[in-house]
Amino acid sequence: MEIRIRGVSKRYATEGKTITALEDVDLDIAANQIFTLLGPSGCGKTTLLRCIVGLEAPDSGEISIGGQTVWSKARSVNVPPEKRGLGMVFQTYAIWPHLNVFDNVAYPLQVRKAPKEVIRGRVEKTLRFVRLEGFEGRPATKLSGGQQQRVALARALVAEPKVILFDEPLSNLDAKLREETRKELKAFLSELQITAVYVTHDRVEALALSDTIAVMRAGRIIEVGSPQKIYFNADTQFVADFIGRANLVKARVRAQEAERTVVDSGLGAIACARRDLPVGADVTLCIRPEFIHVARGAAGGANVVNGRIDSQVFVGESYESEIRAGAELLLARIDPDAQLKVGDPVHFRLEPEHCLLVAT
Amino acid sequence: MLTARTRLTYLLVLLVGLLTVCPVAMLALGSFSEGLTAFGAFTLDKYIAAYTDPALLTVLVNTVIFVLGSSVLATVLALFLAYLNTRTDIPFKFLFAVLSIIPMMIPHLLFSVSWALLLNPSNGILNTVLRNLLALEAAPFNIYSLGGMILVEALLDLPIAYLIIAPAMASFDVALEESSRVFGASPWRTLLRITLPILRPAILAAFVLGVVRSLASFAVPSVLGMPGRVNVLATHLYEMIALGFATDYGKAAAVGMSVLATSVTLIYVYRALTAESEKFVTIAGRGYRPTLIELGRARIPLFTVVALLSFVMIVLPVAILLYTSFVPYTMAPSARAFSLMGLKHWTDVLQDPLSLLALRNSLFLAVAGATLGVLLSLFVGYAIVKVKSRASGILESLSFLSFSFPGIVIGVGFMWFFVQTPLYATIWALLIGYIATYLPYGVRPMASAFVQVHSHLEESSLVCGASHLTTMRRIIVPLLVPGIVSAWILMAAMFIRELTLSVVLSRPGTEVLAIQILKFADDGLWGKLSALGIIMIAISTTLVVLATFVGARFRAVEPA
Repeated sequence: MEIRIRGVSKRYATEGKTITALEDVDLDIAANQIFTLLGPSGCGKTTLLRCIVGLEAPDSGEISIGGQTVWSKARSVNVPPEKRGLGMVFQTYAIWPHLNVFDNVAYPLQVRKAPKEVIRGRVEKTLRFVRLEGFEGRPATKLSGGQQQRVALARALVAEPKVILFDEPLSNLDAKLREETRKELKAFLSELQITAVYVTHDRVEALALSDTIAVMRAGRIIEVGSPQKIYFNADTQFVADFIGRANLVKARVRAQEAERTVVDSGLGAIACARRDLPVGADVTLCIRPEFIHVARGAAGGANVVNGRIDSQVFVGESYESEIRAGAELLLARIDPDAQLKVGDPVHFRLEPEHCLLVAT
Repeated sequence: MLTARTRLTYLLVLLVGLLTVCPVAMLALGSFSEGLTAFGAFTLDKYIAAYTDPALLTVLVNTVIFVLGSSVLATVLALFLAYLNTRTDIPFKFLFAVLSIIPMMIPHLLFSVSWALLLNPSNGILNTVLRNLLALEAAPFNIYSLGGMILVEALLDLPIAYLIIAPAMASFDVALEESSRVFGASPWRTLLRITLPILRPAILAAFVLGVVRSLASFAVPSVLGMPGRVNVLATHLYEMIALGFATDYGKAAAVGMSVLATSVTLIYVYRALTAESEKFVTIAGRGYRPTLIELGRARIPLFTVVALLSFVMIVLPVAILLYTSFVPYTMAPSARAFSLMGLKHWTDVLQDPLSLLALRNSLFLAVAGATLGVLLSLFVGYAIVKVKSRASGILESLSFLSFSFPGIVIGVGFMWFFVQTPLYATIWALLIGYIATYLPYGVRPMASAFVQVHSHLEESSLVCGASHLTTMRRIIVPLLVPGIVSAWILMAAMFIRELTLSVVLSRPGTEVLAIQILKFADDGLWGKLSALGIIMIAISTTLVVLATFVGARFRAVEPA
């Protein structure tokens, strides 16, 4: 089911101050895809999720799920959460401590008054799906973090909702388990025909899981697009910087060519992937460290930058090095085999398609 | 090194065991042996006499109604207040903190007396006002009844119940309720199937503690029950040992054994429940504050209820005592009453040798008792928290045991014991009895203070070459000062007002404040009673204010 959000705003009054959590948000979430709301903490992503599920009421706007309006300020529609028929995995999992695994998972069916045999069958099937068969009688307080996470997922899936919402479901797991669970979750979700709305502040999680990412900042949606679009082709400096490590260099548009935009920067004249910008405009040149391939010594040519190694840190699979080029300090990854030392002169050639111009 | 700790622990087990087990043992011995001393021949006569007493059945029925009624009422009120404070947008939330702490400064005896002054059927102030106002034949309320006792006892147990339930509700992860809503349950169903079941251990703990406290309560039954001939077990025991021509300690001991057994059982149930409640504490949500339930139009009426409750529990008792201490005899407030006001009762009390003796005794017991009690608690707290052994486990259980002691029952046990010693009828008997019965009030703050002193701090002192005693004196004690201060004040405040144990152990010459106040109540000398009562409240309030002040000073020194 698709979700349509129009003109949703939400303000809080705390300690005499008004905080804007959502500012005139418009968003369309297509059916049967994994849609991620990504942003730094306090950007309003969780508030938006809670507005969709009905745990919070916006101050204005409209929300509809699968064509049915669940919230409308103008028409005073407010469907309570229990009537929206959604599934949700909470950040703390919210596994009820007084119930065992079976009763936790069965709850959504029990409150819908499903027959006993149906409940038993569906719960067993769902627990098998999340690979928790045999855990039915286990008390909820005797589960590990990863198991709790899977119980929460089973509970969200058991009533076969058309939409499932995730509120930072991996943030309480340790790093290794988080990576495993992320893969598992991706596999679970691609097996089901379901719309998933996923909230996270972890860019790697967002890139790895999503079909579409919406980046939020200060209550607004900044950009929406596929993970590749957001990573390689962001429109704004904020998104480019937030989604991955980036070298940001101040630049000014010098000339527009057929497929290139040429800019002047601290690195010299650089031909970049074309952006429709007026000549003379101030922009930011964004280069990902993984696209800087350094070679020993100095060299000339188009889009070639010369510099010296300023510092190096060994991090295992590579050296993380800073390269001094004019007034700029650029982060680059250097192969451990390269045998370069601090102070060595180096050069690298930038591919125009890897030179992204973003709004300053 | 280790042997010093072990020896200390065994010594403490012996000492605390003597203080807590001794009166219980004497009570048991006394109930089974012939004659007036504890060591007569074995007999069941006392049990037969006590349990075939035809009055006992009525007493039991009254006790059950009183205990269950007041505990249920206190728990329900606490639940209501805790919910309002933690989950709704009710205004002036500081009132809840006030409501949960201030009433503890008002001794139970005086709280009960103030209600008698307000609502007694013959000349209760509120009754008189209402009768005149509504032109009624008789007084509309009679506080000298089971209903009156239940109401007053419930208000007295409310702060404790609140302090148990409110933290459980505050640490409750709201996502547990929200998820129930998302998965299709209505708010009402969520309350019944999720919220209340998860809070059940805390609610039951509050209820069980209420039962233990009201079972042991003597102030309310003696002030509000006895005038209306509504006897519960506490006053039944009191009548056996203090009134009538033949005091019968043996029969009292026989009845007391059941009360004690019930109370000890319940306190262990309470302990298990608190452990259960901690098990249910879930991972708290990070960085997200759930929105409070908006009360809307109910906001002001609900706040009025809370404000009224605060008024009834804090302002009214003190105001009524102050008023009564200035008017010549009990009368409703009027222009005439105010014109007749004077200091007569105050000058009378301050010139009454018995009142002054009681004041002196109480002050001595508070200062000496709290000092010795804290010293003992300091070592016990250390052994419980820092020495992890079988013996320290036993010590913990022992020091917790007296928490369940109904003062009047354990008083009878002490009685049997002190009769054998030269301590009988001296102030030292009271001192030892107080420390033994109120030991948990000192041990609990000390134990939590020790938990905060990391063992590395202690170990580094030992590594530097200091002995255990030097380490205690130079490192541990200075770090514990805030805990020591709060334990001392808590004990002193309890001792200033002590009633139930004193009722049994106090003899002519060793009267204490509460005993003198009870005497004034029996004689209907309400003016003098009020003046002395205000003095008692003033002392215990000063202590608590001092504690807050000292606590704040020490916190300011600590690094942020």
